[in-house]
Amino acid sequence: MTKRKVGIIGAGAVGATAAYSLSMMGTCGEIVLFDIAEGVAKGKAIDIGQSTHYAPNSTIITAAETPADVRECDIVVITAGVPRKGDMTREDLLMINAKIMKSVVEDVMKYSPDAVIICVSNPLDVMTYVIKQMTGWERNRIIGLSGALDGARMAYQIYKKLGFGAGQIGTLVIGDHGQNMIPLPQEVQVGSVDVAELLSKEEMEEIIERTKHGGAEIVKHLGTSGYYAPGRAIAYMVEAILNDSKVVVACSALLEGEYGYSNVAVGVPVVLGKNGMEQIIEIALDDETKAKFKTSVKSIQSGIEVLRNNQFFN
Amino acid sequence: MAKGKKVTVIGTGNFGSTVAFILAMNGACHNVVLRGRNYDVAKGKALDMSQAANAARQHTIVKAAKGPEDMADSDVVIITAGAPRTPGMSRDDLLLKNAEIVKCYAKEIREHAPDAIVVVVSNPLDVMTYVALKYTGFPRERVMGMAGILDAARMAHFIYEKLEYGAGQIRATVMGGHGDTMVPLPKFTTVAGVPIEDLLDSEEIGEIVRKTRNGGAEIVNLLGNGSAYYAPAKSTTVMVEAILKDTNQIHSCAILLKNDYGYSDVVSGVPVMIGAGGAEQVINMTLKPLQQKRFKNSVASVQEMIDKLYDMDFFAELETEEKEEKQADDQA
Repeated sequence: MTKRKVGIIGAGAVGATAAYSLSMMGTCGEIVLFDIAEGVAKGKAIDIGQSTHYAPNSTIITAAETPADVRECDIVVITAGVPRKGDMTREDLLMINAKIMKSVVEDVMKYSPDAVIICVSNPLDVMTYVIKQMTGWERNRIIGLSGALDGARMAYQIYKKLGFGAGQIGTLVIGDHGQNMIPLPQEVQVGSVDVAELLSKEEMEEIIERTKHGGAEIVKHLGTSGYYAPGRAIAYMVEAILNDSKVVVACSALLEGEYGYSNVAVGVPVVLGKNGMEQIIEIALDDETKAKFKTSVKSIQSGIEVLRNNQFFN
Repeated sequence: MAKGKKVTVIGTGNFGSTVAFILAMNGACHNVVLRGRNYDVAKGKALDMSQAANAARQHTIVKAAKGPEDMADSDVVIITAGAPRTPGMSRDDLLLKNAEIVKCYAKEIREHAPDAIVVVVSNPLDVMTYVALKYTGFPRERVMGMAGILDAARMAHFIYEKLEYGAGQIRATVMGGHGDTMVPLPKFTTVAGVPIEDLLDSEEIGEIVRKTRNGGAEIVNLLGNGSAYYAPAKSTTVMVEAILKDTNQIHSCAILLKNDYGYSDVVSGVPVMIGAGGAEQVINMTLKPLQQKRFKNSVASVQEMIDKLYDMDFFAELETEEKEEKQADDQA
C-alpha cells in the first residue's frame, strides 16, 4: 500500500491551487508545501487543511519548515522559480531559474529519492531538461506540465466558439510550452464528432492563435499569470500517477530518439502511471507539423545551449 | 419557484434498477420513481436505494409508483420495460411483444407526464424509440433511444484491452442502429486526442469492430438468463444527467431523422447535442462512402421492422385517432 504523499515546492498561487485541487478531490493522503517565503506555506496549509472538512476524504496538509520535511514523497511538484521582470533578459531568467532548480533538485534527491518529479517552472521544457541533468534519474521519473494545460486552454477556446460540448472536447497540443507550441486541430473531437464538422478553418486558426497566447491573455487581465487551470492540470497529472491510471496526457518528456530527437525535453503524448511517464506515444505527423515540431525543439535546444555556454552543466 | 428534478424509471428489472441506483448514488435528481408491474418489488428496491443514498450522503429519494399518476411532473421518463432477450433469440423476435409494452407506457406518459423527455432503452431499440415517439406524440427532441453511448463504451473497452492504457479517456464513435448493423467509426476514435489509427493496425481495429458488434450477445451468452445491464444502465444515466444538468454535450443517440443524413421518418443512432430540452441539435457529420453504405443498411433494417409493425396494424389506433381529431377540427 503506497502512502500517497505529494510534495509541492513553491507555495505560490500555482502550487497552492494544485494542493487545493488535490485536497478537494481527496486524491492523496498527505500533501507537504514548501516555500522559501516564511509563513506562506504554513498559512496556506492551514487554510486548505480547514477546507478539507467538506471534501470527500480528509487530506493532511502540512507546511515544511525545512527542505528535509519534504521527505519520502511519491511525487514532488516543482513550481519554484521567478517570473521575468523589467530589465531581465531571457538569458538572465534562464540562469536564475536553472540555479533555483539546481538547489531544489539537490534536496529532492536527498529526501525523496524515489519520487516522480513534475516540473512546472518556466521556461518549462528547458527546466525539465535541467532537472533530468541534475538528478541523473531515469527519464520516466521526470515530466513537465505543458500539454495538459495547453490542451485545456485549447478546449476552452473551442467551447467558447461552439457554445456546447464543454468537458468533452479532446485536444492535443505538442511541442514546447511557449511561443512555438503546436495545437493539433486535426486531432480534435467534440464528443465523438470531428471538429472540422463544426468549425471552419478560419475559426480554428483563431482558436490556435488564442491557445498559443492563452497564458498571456490572462496576464493581461490579471497582471499576473493564471493559476486555476495550471493548478488543476497539475492535480490531473498527479492523480494519474497516484492512481496508476495509465491515461494519455501530453507532457514535456525527455526524448531518446522518439520523433527523431534526443537529449531534449519537449511536449509529446505520454502514458502516465505509477512509474511516471511509462510510454511515449509517437503519432504520425504530417510534413507541416514535422516542420513546426522542429522549430519548437530548436527553441528549446537554444535555451539549453544558453545554459551550456554559461557553464551551468559543468 | 425552483423544484428538484424528478426521474421516473419504468421497469424494475436489473436494467431499470441499476439506472435508478446510479442516479441515487450520484444525487443526480431529488426524486426517482420506480414503476413496475409488481408494486412490492418496486417498493422494496426503492427503500433499499433510498437507504443507500443516505449512506452515500446524497439527497435522492427513491419511491415506488402505485399507478401511472405517480410519474406526474417527471423531467425524464426512462422506458426500460420489455421482455428480455434470451440466448438464441434475435432482436426481431422481441418486436411485437415489446412494441405493445412500450405503447402502453408511452400512452401513460402522454397522459401523466406530458412535458417529460423520454429515454427509451427497450429492444429492438430504434424501433421502440419510434413506437414511443408515435404513441406519446411528443416532438422528436423529447424522445431519444440509448444506443450509441453503450456501443461506444463497449468499443472503448475493447480498445483498452488491446492497448492496456487509456481506460476512461477513449472516445469511440458508433452510429446507426443498435443491433447487428451498428456502424462503429474507427476514423472518429481517439485516445486523449491521439487517433486510434496511430496506435493500432487495421487488423486489430477490425477485430475491435467485430467484438463491438457482438458485445451485447457475448454477455447474453455468458449470463445465460438475461442481458447486460451495468454498462447499459450507466450509459443511460449519461443521457439522463446530460438532460438534467443541461450539459449541451454531444452523445450518439437514437432519434427520429428528419432529413438528417438523407433519411426521414425513421429512427437511427446519430450524434446529438443534449441539453435541458432533450436532443437540442442533430449533428450531421460527413460520412465516407463506405460508412454511408453501412449506415444505409442499418437504417434499412430499422425501417423494415417499422414496416412490419405497420403491416401488423400496430399503428392503426393512431391513424384512427388522427382521423377523429381531424373530423373534430373540421366540425369546429
